[in-house]
Amino acid sequence: MYAQFGYQRSPWRTHSCVPRRVSTRRLCALRRRAPLLLVLALASLFAACSPAPPARKTIAIITPSHDNPFFKAEADAAAARAGELGYLTTVNSHDDDAHRQDELIDVAVANRASAIVLDNAGADATVAALRKAKAAGIPCFLIDREINATGVAVAQIVSNNYQGAQLGGQEFVRLMGEKGSYLELLGRESDNNAQIRTRGFHDVIDRYPGLILAGQQSANWSQTEGFQKMETMIQAHHGVKGVIAGNDTMALGARAALEAAGLDKVIVVGFDGSPDAIAAVGRGALEATVLQPASVIARLAVEEVHKFLTTGATGAPEKQSIDCELVTPANAAEFGLFGRK
Amino acid sequence: MRAHFGELSRALLAVVLVGGIFAWISPAFLTSANLTILVKHVAINAILGIGMTFVILSGGIDLSVGAIVGLAGMVAGGLIHHGLVFRGWGVVVYQHTWLVVAAALATGLAVGLVNGLLVSRLSVAPFIATLGTLYMARGAALLSSGGATFPDLGGRPELGNTGLPVLGAGTFASIPLPIWIMLGFALVAAVVAARTPFGRRVYAVGGNERAAELSGVRVRGIKTAVYAISGFCAAAVGLIIAAELGAAHPATGETFELNAIAAVVLGGTSLSGGRGSIGGTIVGALVIGELADGLVLAGVSEFWQFVIRGLVIVLAVVVDQLQPRRS
Repeated sequence: MYAQFGYQRSPWRTHSCVPRRVSTRRLCALRRRAPLLLVLALASLFAACSPAPPARKTIAIITPSHDNPFFKAEADAAAARAGELGYLTTVNSHDDDAHRQDELIDVAVANRASAIVLDNAGADATVAALRKAKAAGIPCFLIDREINATGVAVAQIVSNNYQGAQLGGQEFVRLMGEKGSYLELLGRESDNNAQIRTRGFHDVIDRYPGLILAGQQSANWSQTEGFQKMETMIQAHHGVKGVIAGNDTMALGARAALEAAGLDKVIVVGFDGSPDAIAAVGRGALEATVLQPASVIARLAVEEVHKFLTTGATGAPEKQSIDCELVTPANAAEFGLFGRK
Repeated sequence: MRAHFGELSRALLAVVLVGGIFAWISPAFLTSANLTILVKHVAINAILGIGMTFVILSGGIDLSVGAIVGLAGMVAGGLIHHGLVFRGWGVVVYQHTWLVVAAALATGLAVGLVNGLLVSRLSVAPFIATLGTLYMARGAALLSSGGATFPDLGGRPELGNTGLPVLGAGTFASIPLPIWIMLGFALVAAVVAARTPFGRRVYAVGGNERAAELSGVRVRGIKTAVYAISGFCAAAVGLIIAAELGAAHPATGETFELNAIAAVVLGGTSLSGGRGSIGGTIVGALVIGELADGLVLAGVSEFWQFVIRGLVIVLAVVVDQLQPRRS
């Protein structure tokens, strides 16, 4: 449209309208062929990029988005261990979209991957996709999150969120001196881990009648939301002594809000053991966090893949649970990227 | 061209109504401390909404603002963490911080210009052009750190700078800086929209593009400018958020564009362009902010918060549609 109007629209250009029209026509011809050209260009690009048939076996690693250092660490750890054991890897992210995950599993099946290591996008939504992979003879190893079915995956290796939350809860009780009012920031409420963590916290904390839950809000695992919601919550609840958060990013957001309000003395405990949080514990900005051994779990999963592919069995039960560890200022220096150094 | 007083007063009525309900539910709502925090939270959406208002007045839409928020924060975070580059030039601390701020704002402006050029020169539909830059800007933000957060934006002790966090945590006359920034943006934008030839041309382009063109308005230039303004506003928001948190996270700002559009529409600006006002957008952002914070104060569950927020947005626009309108 605009190309046809071009010379009418800009009067100062009329002197060149003839050559412009010629070039416009050429442009149109190019445009008509553009889809064809695009397809050819892309096809040649893919042809140049696609690898020769793999001589080595490939492990497909699929996790949620790498903008969370937790998932990046587990994907990196799995890929590194697979490389050491002589496997090729493909690393992809499903962004917590079950449909995208389904597509990625289809791709892994089509590329005849030897195994899939998956941090899944939904306990129920994942089952059908895994059945499909199993039917195609590709063993699946789940990390970090379980699914609501057994016998579909070869292994489900998760960190023990409930045990970790109890650890965090115990430390919180100790720091609070067993009394005072506190606020809680929940993770995304539709996420299983958010529920398990808050249950773990409360199974410990609620045993102490001196500890009073003044307010509870979801901040959707987000630092920005943790910050804004904490700013608002402390308006309604004065004299709060502690904050317990379902993950570290919310805890760090809450800490920033408390600092801005001059409430530096408030105790903040997080969960996950992200590098930022461990650094924050080290310098006293967070009082404690709970480390999920994501790197350990990812490496273990790849080792079980190797064992399964070479011997036909992992030698371990399908459901495996790895304990979390408490990080305090005293031991913060011992921890690295989601594992002990 | 200017907002009818009636429209603005209806939106203000919504502010008073929603505020009244929360004041009744929670005694903490009407305290000055809470209202300050509330307006500080509103500032984020309001500044995005100001830029978005120009785009929507011109008949376009800008989906990329949330991603620009994230990208601008990452630019600032990256520069603070690699501040050595500037130290080599012997640049003093304050300039260092100002350079960081300028670079982040320039990034937003640049992405906005790309949006504007795509829409005005290459005739790409605004929805698609800005959706494309949304993905590119978000991708760039993630690439800038490999997905990681830049923590501790306070600058380094050896530089001795109070640095970026002042922008988020500082106060002037005991009112937080983000509120002043919002007021500054709102004042300039309101004057530009209502009292300058540029503003009148934005309305003209949105009202009837062909007519505007025939009466000598340089439509392409106007269209390019409104997206640049929107990108600039988004970058300012990115800086404020990074300053408040003292950290820059690449996924910051997801779905912010929808809140900004909601604020603009709640404020009585027509999605088809040519009608609306900056003042309306500020009031719209106030309504959304009151809801977000009031529901938290009242201790309402997150799931109900979604439902109530949606209901109020739809209701407000429906009520607006039912009113008789002078043209």
